[in-house]
Amino acid sequence: MTKHCRTFEHTADMGLEARADSLAEMFEAMGEGLADVICPRQSVKKQKTLQIQVESENVEALLVDFLAELLGLFNLEKFLVAGVKVKRIDETSVAAEVTGEPFDPARHELGDEIKAVTYHQLKVAREGDEWIGRVILDI
Amino acid sequence: MGKATNIRIEQIDEYRWRIPKDSRPGMRVDGIIYADEKLMSHIRSEQAVEQVANVATLPGIVGASLAMPDIHWGYGFCIGGVAAMDIEAGGVVSPGGVGYDINCGVRLLRSDLDVEQVRPQMKALVDQLFRDIPCGVGVGGKFKFSDKELRKICLDGAKYLAEIDLADEDDLAATEAGGALSGADPDAVSSVAYRRGRDQCGTLGAGNHFVEVQSVEEIFDAHAAEAMGLVVGKICVMIHSGSRGFGYQVCDDAIKSLRKAPAQFGIDLPDRQLVCAPVDSAPGRRYLGAMRSAANYAWANRQLLAHLARKALAHHFKASVESLGLRQVYDVAHNIAKIEMHEVDGKPRKLCVHRKGATRAFGPGNEELSERYRQIGQPVLIPGDMGTASYVLVGTASAMRETFGSTCHGAGRVMSRKAAIRAAAGRRIDAELADAGIIARARGRSGLAEEQPDAYKDIHNVVDVVVSAGLARKVARLKPMGVIKG
Repeated sequence: MTKHCRTFEHTADMGLEARADSLAEMFEAMGEGLADVICPRQSVKKQKTLQIQVESENVEALLVDFLAELLGLFNLEKFLVAGVKVKRIDETSVAAEVTGEPFDPARHELGDEIKAVTYHQLKVAREGDEWIGRVILDI
Repeated sequence: MGKATNIRIEQIDEYRWRIPKDSRPGMRVDGIIYADEKLMSHIRSEQAVEQVANVATLPGIVGASLAMPDIHWGYGFCIGGVAAMDIEAGGVVSPGGVGYDINCGVRLLRSDLDVEQVRPQMKALVDQLFRDIPCGVGVGGKFKFSDKELRKICLDGAKYLAEIDLADEDDLAATEAGGALSGADPDAVSSVAYRRGRDQCGTLGAGNHFVEVQSVEEIFDAHAAEAMGLVVGKICVMIHSGSRGFGYQVCDDAIKSLRKAPAQFGIDLPDRQLVCAPVDSAPGRRYLGAMRSAANYAWANRQLLAHLARKALAHHFKASVESLGLRQVYDVAHNIAKIEMHEVDGKPRKLCVHRKGATRAFGPGNEELSERYRQIGQPVLIPGDMGTASYVLVGTASAMRETFGSTCHGAGRVMSRKAAIRAAAGRRIDAELADAGIIARARGRSGLAEEQPDAYKDIHNVVDVVVSAGLARKVARLKPMGVIKG
């Protein structure tokens, strides 16, 4: 059971790449990687749990829509994410439990403003024993 | 940065490079990049060249897929790109050819304040601007608009603000499209976008957006500078921002809803971020209606930012806005798609011109220009990095012939944000700028590091290329004195 997410370089923007043993864990790593760009997760408490559900036409679009949903929690509800647990996933739908807390300017230092999750060079693939996901964020 | 390109590039002359249309399958026209040898050596190291070629495959594209010298790797389209599609020939509109920050653009105010009078007070003045202008990620503003008011902003942009005394005729006459594009469709904008837009009109945002106090350092064209009210040694205020979360949501919604359009219209795309639909189709019209709404929101946003900046200066100098002579020079969009008439192969054609990280640069005599500028050509505002300079240019007749009346939009990044933060490790960018006589204040954790001068191309080099290529003429160079960032 391993999963990790790293950022990679893009001139104007920022890329996220996650590798994990399963599709569920890859989505979790991607979600948590996105959360770290919004606000480093070590400063976010697991105070409240939200359920999210996303459906799309294929697994790549599903990843973009899933991350856009998580980004929307901050943009619309000012909710910061500390952890993502995928409960159920297939290639066209995902259900996840998201823990975190409301943004508090006194305690949380925000990172870059993410304008959107793009489709440019989007990748979701199984390579050997690993699931790999790659997206580019518009900063 | 990324993979170096292996695509064939031919040099046309000192400032023009061609990607022949037979160098990639599906290209309908050549790609043309405006750059000198020095800029080209960096451009070759990026994937932006591939993106110029990809855009050349889009239906209806005419002339060439163009890239300005500030070109860099974007998503879908490159940043610094211009693509014009012939509507009657099935030409498409692509949200990726506009970008998420719809009508991101630049506004310039001039003043009668002397640089020597202002310099000793720069720190207090920058602090005043930083207090009065909301900036930073997710920061709401002083103005709140109901959905009904937002719909008016969608339709009338900065013109709506004139009705409530937050804009005047002089501001509107000195704004591209008079501050409002016609044909906006507020019904094509999602409720999520309206929610995000409620408290963000009149906010700067984060990233590369800024308000900068500048001095006029040099005038190159006395006649044009006089029309613009620019005088050596006087203070200007430059504002760079766009349509905030409202526009990002409009673009995001459009890309999602257009995912199936390429298959529906039989368009084969090399990159999903290039999703598009014919201009003359229901999904194409819907996107343009929503995009124009967001463009108008952005003009209202920059109008409110200008209002806040004027009030901050008036408060600081204990004088009226009028007595400080804080008149608007111009306001230009650099992320937009517009329907314009241009000559193609000797015939007037109705085109959808995408400018993504490119500025309109209409030449003298153009009927779209207000009387103040019709004789000299359209003012073009080119911000450089915060440590170097910005330029005021004017459009030319040859830009009308060659680039659908377009030129560059800024310095263009050379360093990724991560690389910029690495390069700033152990340094105080604000202290380095202060040593150079520039007071900088930023809200975010890494804002100044990411936006440090070294992260950008040399603005003098970029401007010299567009001027040498005849795509604009120099009017004035502005020197930064103080800047606030999100």
